[in-house]
Amino acid sequence: MNTLTDRYLAATLRSVPAQRRDEIASELRASIEDMIEGRTDGGQDATTAEREVLTELGNPDVLAARYADRRLQLIGPTYYLVWLRLLKLLLSFIPALVGTIVTIVEAAEGKGFGAIGPGLVVALQVAVQIAFWLTLTFAIIERSQTPVNLPDWTVDQLPDAPVHRGIPLADTIASVVMLVATIAYLPIQHFQSWVRGTDGENIAILDPALWSFWLPALIVVLVASVIFEIVKYRIGRWTWRLFGTKVLLNLAFSVPLVWLALSDRLLNPALGERLSWLADADNRNLLGAAIAVGTAVVVVWDLIDTAIKTRRQTA
Amino acid sequence: MVSEDVLRTHLQELRRGTVVVASLVALRRPDYGYALLQRLTDHGFPVDANTLYPLLRRLEDQGLLTSEWNTAESRPRKFYRTSDEGESMLSRLLDDLAAVQTSITGLIQGVDR
Repeated sequence: MNTLTDRYLAATLRSVPAQRRDEIASELRASIEDMIEGRTDGGQDATTAEREVLTELGNPDVLAARYADRRLQLIGPTYYLVWLRLLKLLLSFIPALVGTIVTIVEAAEGKGFGAIGPGLVVALQVAVQIAFWLTLTFAIIERSQTPVNLPDWTVDQLPDAPVHRGIPLADTIASVVMLVATIAYLPIQHFQSWVRGTDGENIAILDPALWSFWLPALIVVLVASVIFEIVKYRIGRWTWRLFGTKVLLNLAFSVPLVWLALSDRLLNPALGERLSWLADADNRNLLGAAIAVGTAVVVVWDLIDTAIKTRRQTA
Repeated sequence: MVSEDVLRTHLQELRRGTVVVASLVALRRPDYGYALLQRLTDHGFPVDANTLYPLLRRLEDQGLLTSEWNTAESRPRKFYRTSDEGESMLSRLLDDLAAVQTSITGLIQGVDR
């Protein structure tokens, strides 16, 4: 016997807890037969009645879920907001961080410009992994019988209303674009400096020996500065803690740069072969000093400007 | 003009809890699933079969209904009946339903005046 009713029952009982399966089966079968009988008594033919009754009962999986009191959602309203917040938080920095580290490691191994590819792939993989495992965890919590005690919401959690934006979006975007352009310039100048050697090969502007430590380190500082700009924008105004962080970041970038420039380790020695002006040690020292002074002036001016803004906005 | 969909949603919300009350009242006289469905419909409580059958089981699990198989007739049927626990729960629910009606009436009169 393999009537529509049999098939419907089998489909429903498939996902009902085993210990109650038999009882639900007999009861549901009786109910279906009662319903069919109710229709045939009204003059309908048995086949049509059966089809209509089963259609009325609807998707067997939905019915089974109702019998088993099972959730028909992956993550319900109890946990959805927590899940979303954690997902946003984790995705906001972990993939970028891991991707950057991979890029730097690959670049340090001499892959240069080609290091961006593996970095992007790893960042994407990390993002997918985070989303998958976090969702799986919450789906399991959703289905566990013991309720997880989430902290109750209190008014103290209210974020500050953005009354006065001390940090315009345009400034943040400009800073981030500048930082990203600087990050991109470091590998690009290594492969495409538009300075050609005598036999046409590319001569990097910066000393390739710096890739063993200093350039990756500067990239890390620049990436940290990008994160800093975004955090600063989210906070919405200058605070002394932000100012302190900015001082540290600026020094972390400018001190190595100045030191490298002064000790004549910044520029590629091979440039001297092409640009005769640079072959002279005095000229190189002059250029190094100019770079060092220029950097110092920019940094000091920026810090004074920031200190004034911070003072105004914290007052 | 009120949209049909909006109206249907609100009616559904309004009716949702009353199915339990109606079932507990109706099952003071023992009955099986399909017959209860018919009785509820006849008394103005249209309810979907795929809602009612699982609901009866759930109320039984909560101890508000007791059940018994009746094998005397042509096909074995499971008869449900409101338990003592179900009865005391029902009186609380009925009180609340009456309180809602009273509140609404009072509110309507208060606004009218």
